[in-house]
Amino acid sequence: MIRFIQPYIDHAGEWLPLLLEAMGKTALLSVSAFALSLVFGLLLALCRNTRWRALERGVAFYVTAARGVPLLAILFLLYFGLPGIGVTFDAFTAAILGLALAFAAQVAELFRAGLMAIPAGQREAALAVGFTPYQSFTLIVLPQVVRISIAPLIVTFVSLLKDSSLASLITVDELVLTGRAMATEYFLPLQIYVAVGVCYFLIAWPFSLLSRRLAPTAAR
Amino acid sequence: MIGSSTFTLILQGLLTGAGVTVVVTLVSLLLSLSLGFGLALVRQFAKRRGLHAMIDLYCEIMRNIPALTHLFILYFGLASIGFRLSSMAAAILGLGLIGAAVTCDLFRAGFAALPKGQAEAALAVGFTPSQTILDILTPQAMRLALPSLGNYAVQLLKDTSIVSAIAAPEIMFYARSLVTSSFQTTLIYTMVAVLYLALALPLMQAIRVLETRYGKLKA
Repeated sequence: MIRFIQPYIDHAGEWLPLLLEAMGKTALLSVSAFALSLVFGLLLALCRNTRWRALERGVAFYVTAARGVPLLAILFLLYFGLPGIGVTFDAFTAAILGLALAFAAQVAELFRAGLMAIPAGQREAALAVGFTPYQSFTLIVLPQVVRISIAPLIVTFVSLLKDSSLASLITVDELVLTGRAMATEYFLPLQIYVAVGVCYFLIAWPFSLLSRRLAPTAAR
Repeated sequence: MIGSSTFTLILQGLLTGAGVTVVVTLVSLLLSLSLGFGLALVRQFAKRRGLHAMIDLYCEIMRNIPALTHLFILYFGLASIGFRLSSMAAAILGLGLIGAAVTCDLFRAGFAALPKGQAEAALAVGFTPSQTILDILTPQAMRLALPSLGNYAVQLLKDTSIVSAIAAPEIMFYARSLVTSSFQTTLIYTMVAVLYLALALPLMQAIRVLETRYGKLKA
């Protein structure tokens, strides 16, 4: 046990700044990707309720495809595959885009479930008392949808945060890639990857706890 | 333009990888379902507080740390202290152990959703506690958990793609080595996406069939 812990004491001064910086990168990547996936997801969910059948079909196909194709395949396609047809992203942009595209499908399903849970009377009443359709959506329906979806959205954020580790495989220097570089430098892979795990845990766990607090029917 | 022989070569490589992907998915699914069910039974019905705390801790650790980090600890970390796992063993063990935490929660949600009267009635008509759990509660809880277990299976199939990072020879691993030999990045990664979709769609369909056949509890 002492032999396991000793390296942490010896190297704390060098490792902490590296890991903290990488945590920042992971957090920035996850938050940007999640914000983008919220926007995409809401748009997709709204498209699913339109009268245009073709649009509805297209969105349904997108959601199924995003459920069936691994994130890693999406990231590799964006970062390594698209330059072959002349579209080039830097690694960080490709990672944000890939995460957002993959998680938008999940977010869309959550919003859709939320939209279906709001009784039609809410919108009708809003229209009847003189709200415009736009106002009745943004002021009456949407806040209620957000309220219902907030706990599952936080769960989704935690899985996005974890999946952001795959960005290391397309050379984004977030926690895992930083860990790999450190592991080759110090020859202490066990201690370093455990430290990386702890870093993720420190970010993810508060959100996991929060999602359970906010869940409408707390699982007992 | 791409010659048809290149295309065949790529397809062959990817299909070889697909075999390994299917094996890793099935074995780690089996491992995680059996482990997860065991954990759920203990967490739900055993009276030991210490055991509960340990299982909760295990689930939190598994669920709040990325699979990739777990795999690196198992494969690179343990090797450095002389405990060397093959990449396939590390892949299956890693995904199985993470999945156990996930399925434990899903099974528990199934048990928790059953009305209390089920257990009370079974005990009242003379079932022993273990008969009550295994013969009365478990079959119903399984049915309730079926949809979420199905989602988990699809997720697991996709998650096997990351075991390429510890050199398990599945689809992504072959894709990466094919890229270095043929440089057809766009073609190869598009084919990879289509291949995963071709594996996932039948799985989703099978789950839907299972759900309609067994998923509904008779009132």
